[in-house]
Amino acid sequence: MKKIGITTTVPVEVLYAAGYSVVDLNNIFITSKDYLRYIEIAERDGFPKSLCAWIKGIYGACIENGIDEVVGVIEGDCSNTKSLIEVLKSKGVKIYPFSYPAKHTIEEVKKSIDDFIKLFFKDELVDSNIKEKIEDTRQTLSKGRVLARRIDELTCDFKATGLENHIYQISLSDFNGDIEGYTEILKEKVKEIELRKPKTKKIKLAYIGVPPMTPDIYDFIEKYDAQIVYNEVQREFAFPRFDRAKDIYEQYYDYTYPYSLEFRLKEIEKIIKERNIDGVIHYTQAFCYRAIDDIVIKRKLNIPVLNIEGDKLNCLDGRTKIRIEAFLDMLMDLKGD
Amino acid sequence: MRIVGIDLGSRFVKTLVMEDYKIVERICISTVSFYKEYCSFNGRLKVDFKKLGIDSFDFGVSTGYGRNNVDIENFNIINELKAHAYGAMYQTGLKDFILLDVGGQDVKIIKVEKGVLTDIELNDKCAASCGRYIENMAKILETSIDEIFSYYKNPVELNSTCAVFSESELIGKIAEGVPFENLCAGVNYSLYKRLKPLLTRFKGKSLLISGGVAENKALLEYLKSDYDEINVLNDSKFNGAIGCCYFGILKYKK
Ligand code: SF4
Repeated sequence: MKKIGITTTVPVEVLYAAGYSVVDLNNIFITSKDYLRYIEIAERDGFPKSLCAWIKGIYGACIENGIDEVVGVIEGDCSNTKSLIEVLKSKGVKIYPFSYPAKHTIEEVKKSIDDFIKLFFKDELVDSNIKEKIEDTRQTLSKGRVLARRIDELTCDFKATGLENHIYQISLSDFNGDIEGYTEILKEKVKEIELRKPKTKKIKLAYIGVPPMTPDIYDFIEKYDAQIVYNEVQREFAFPRFDRAKDIYEQYYDYTYPYSLEFRLKEIEKIIKERNIDGVIHYTQAFCYRAIDDIVIKRKLNIPVLNIEGDKLNCLDGRTKIRIEAFLDMLMDLKGD
Repeated sequence: MRIVGIDLGSRFVKTLVMEDYKIVERICISTVSFYKEYCSFNGRLKVDFKKLGIDSFDFGVSTGYGRNNVDIENFNIINELKAHAYGAMYQTGLKDFILLDVGGQDVKIIKVEKGVLTDIELNDKCAASCGRYIENMAKILETSIDEIFSYYKNPVELNSTCAVFSESELIGKIAEGVPFENLCAGVNYSLYKRLKPLLTRFKGKSLLISGGVAENKALLEYLKSDYDEINVLNDSKFNGAIGCCYFGILKYKK
């Protein structure tokens, strides 16, 4: 199977139906021992110091791993991606654009996805044959989505850890390049987690914002009497409401991350209530425009919000640790014994 | 219900008693005499409350400076940043604020949002903007700290970032014949220059002030250019001890 890289979650159903194995470049970047070198490669090729590490890491990961076809999201995600794919294009990488429509209507989403389908199926009209093939793929993927959702539930029961929740939700952006293999892994994992005794914690936290450069945050928090029981964007990557959508269009219409902050907040608020969450950690990446969202997020959410920032390092710095510690300490006081 | 809060600072130990949510007693003793005259040790610190003039209480909470939390017998220890957060909440009723506390050796800046600490800045290397530094400068100028605090206009430039070098720089300025007022203002302005980078992350509309620095009128004058409002807490010196008591109340109520 030919490999295709993605810069963020896109309708992978289309890519798998077209016979590709999908790799989320973010995942290769952040799980690699070489992550710092990937950033270095980008900076040597001229990417500015003052630019988010994710963009540089994706670039380095793409070049180093010889990925020669990439889906670049040009609308609805980071605007830096637009320039990133220009550079990749100039290096001979074949680029397929995808846009989440600026106007959040089902018609616009349909148009975007149909355009995307045409890039891979070369049809003037997206006919029923193609649609069926894609829908079949969607159904195949749904087996994995059910399992990921189960891991999400098991996190609320304090059986799965925050880190496990993070990993198994986020991995559904690409199904690790192998739908069946990964679904099997998920199945085994669910079985294993279900057998565990719950490790109940006093404080329930939500993690919102882009996935962290610093995955050690989950274990760090669990050293205290607290756990992250909701990973906003990672959970969106796994499409927990996929079965409420009758087709791929509805599924990507209901996906919160690429649309307005207001739309994202509706889902966040709902989960905060459902899961009795005590506090929110809003992660932002250094140099990311999304840090501005913090103003609105703090105003809109009526529980305490801690904004932390990551840059290039893949572990928490001392200052951030002290801040998290103090935040948890006072949340505990609020909660009483 | 009587609660005792003790803030074991580097220069002074502040002890405060609250009864039914009201402050009924404030005692401030130099740190050295507190340990020498009012304490004994048996693995943990035992405080002679009778001698301090406190006969009975239900609950004790203490906080220390930096990482040196001293364990007082039968007391709860809380983190000093938290103590200051609670102190300011008690004193102002606010749940969202930025607080600057400058003590004998420490600078702390904390941000509280929705009643919870969300950001912190501490001086890590040098105490050059703290009380001890001003005491040294006052000695060189052969004047009182209060006198120094009253001048803010036309500060002479003192560029050294090191407390020790600053002293020799000041002597140099005296030798150049710089007027006394400008020397004093210069000392104050040098404090401001050292605090400013620590404050960069804490932009906002208003700033609360606690600790010994609250008495530094000149410094407050400089800070006015960065915030719309500068509010000095009434019991600025006792803020940490108040926070200890307030924490005790919160705990006790539940
Ligand atoms: S973290 Fe922000 S700047 Fe970086 S890729 Fe994501 S959206 Fe773009």
